[in-house]
Amino acid sequence: MTPGEWIFIGVITATMAGTLAAVLSGSLIYAMFGLVTAMFGMAGIYIYLNAPFLAMMQILIYVGAISILIAFAIMLAGPMYRRPKEWTTLAKFAAALAVALVSLLLLLKVVIGATHNASEAKPLVVTTQELGRIFLDRLTLPFELVSLLIVVSIIGAIMLALFSKGEK
Amino acid sequence: MVNELLNMASSDAGKMVLGLIGVLVFVVVNALLLTWAERKVAGHMQRRIGPKEVGPFGLIQPIADAIKLLGKEILTPAKVDKPLYYLAPVLIFVPVLVSFIVIPFDASLQVTDINVGILVILAFSSISVLSILMAGWGSENKYSLIGAVRSVAQNIAYEIPLLLALLPVIMLANSLSLKEIVEKQEGLWFVVIQPLAFIIYFIASVAETNRTPFDLPEAESELVAGYHTEYSGMRFALFFLAEYTNIFIVSAIAATFFLGGYQGPLLPGIVWFLLKSYFLVFVIMWLRWTYPRVRFDQLLNFAWKGLIPLAFVNLIITGGLLKI
Repeated sequence: MTPGEWIFIGVITATMAGTLAAVLSGSLIYAMFGLVTAMFGMAGIYIYLNAPFLAMMQILIYVGAISILIAFAIMLAGPMYRRPKEWTTLAKFAAALAVALVSLLLLLKVVIGATHNASEAKPLVVTTQELGRIFLDRLTLPFELVSLLIVVSIIGAIMLALFSKGEK
Repeated sequence: MVNELLNMASSDAGKMVLGLIGVLVFVVVNALLLTWAERKVAGHMQRRIGPKEVGPFGLIQPIADAIKLLGKEILTPAKVDKPLYYLAPVLIFVPVLVSFIVIPFDASLQVTDINVGILVILAFSSISVLSILMAGWGSENKYSLIGAVRSVAQNIAYEIPLLLALLPVIMLANSLSLKEIVEKQEGLWFVVIQPLAFIIYFIASVAETNRTPFDLPEAESELVAGYHTEYSGMRFALFFLAEYTNIFIVSAIAATFFLGGYQGPLLPGIVWFLLKSYFLVFVIMWLRWTYPRVRFDQLLNFAWKGLIPLAFVNLIITGGLLKI
């Protein structure tokens, strides 16, 4: 195997280990760091797909913003030993298991059904220009819909902050 | 792309090793010099002389300090969360080293010119917050934890104006590569066109590096030493090195984005680049010994209600003017 392939295996292993830590860890903070590792692994996969811009954005947004926000949420949450009992009932566990199994089956169907053809197209040298063009040309509608979604969530957050329970 | 990178690394292996050694030497020398400069600047601002006994002008003082730190026993408190506690000082060095890959010291003195260069620095700079969080959490100490929480809140608030202040320059230069941004400033520095962006970037970067007046994560009068309270010896020194290198890096980015980087008459490019960067480093020190620490609500209000709206207005005006 070439060194590139060895590094790829390393990246994949790190990603898987990170996701496993995120799911299985009992400590929230370890789960968060597992998620961060997984996000870095994803960025590594983007590098292998010749998309350095996407890779950097992955780190900037998911590690730099989302994970930090998760950390912030953990800081604001109550301590673990005060966890209320009603969080883990049998019904909730069963529902979660059902959802997980259904999504696993759907994913398996997609993965087994796919043919994994390598693209014939040459990788772009300057990806940012092409990305910008596609967003404001062919994909204008989804792009605008996403920004609408973000506006809605920002307004929602402001409303929650302004009219939280008990205060008017 | 990875194969290209690996090819580059193997074909220029000698250059790569030299570059890495150069970066490490620079990081250490820079930190030694800055600790000395900080004490000298502080001294003169308070009508003292500062260190003067060890060597000429006290120049060897930082080396004596470094040897003292190296000789100290590395203590590990009994109750720390071991993996996080050990990993934090190592991890805080990743963004520092990665940033040096793309900073253009001179037209030809740059490890590699990546076409998304600035994104590399900005993306990896978030790791330093994560390692501060690791240190704070792993230390099992209330002062460390409070320092880490403050650092996270501060970082969320100031990352946004920092990015928004750099965007107009990227729009003007039409590139994310640091070298191209410098090349576009031949004749006219971007600070002339974007004075507001420069000021916003500079304030936000002082906050990002946890320097006074925004040094709440390590406020020594309230939190002992903040997130690195429980660290000693060389582990503490790593935090210290990273902090001083970060000061240089934010100043170097400011010089590259707004002050024309390595461009200047007569003197060679690297001299100009270092002059501009270290001038900004001096300004950051000057701020530290001039202003008192802000309160936490002032800190957050200033970012969310002051800097972010201003940065947005600046960005929209720049975008509008560019399209007319």
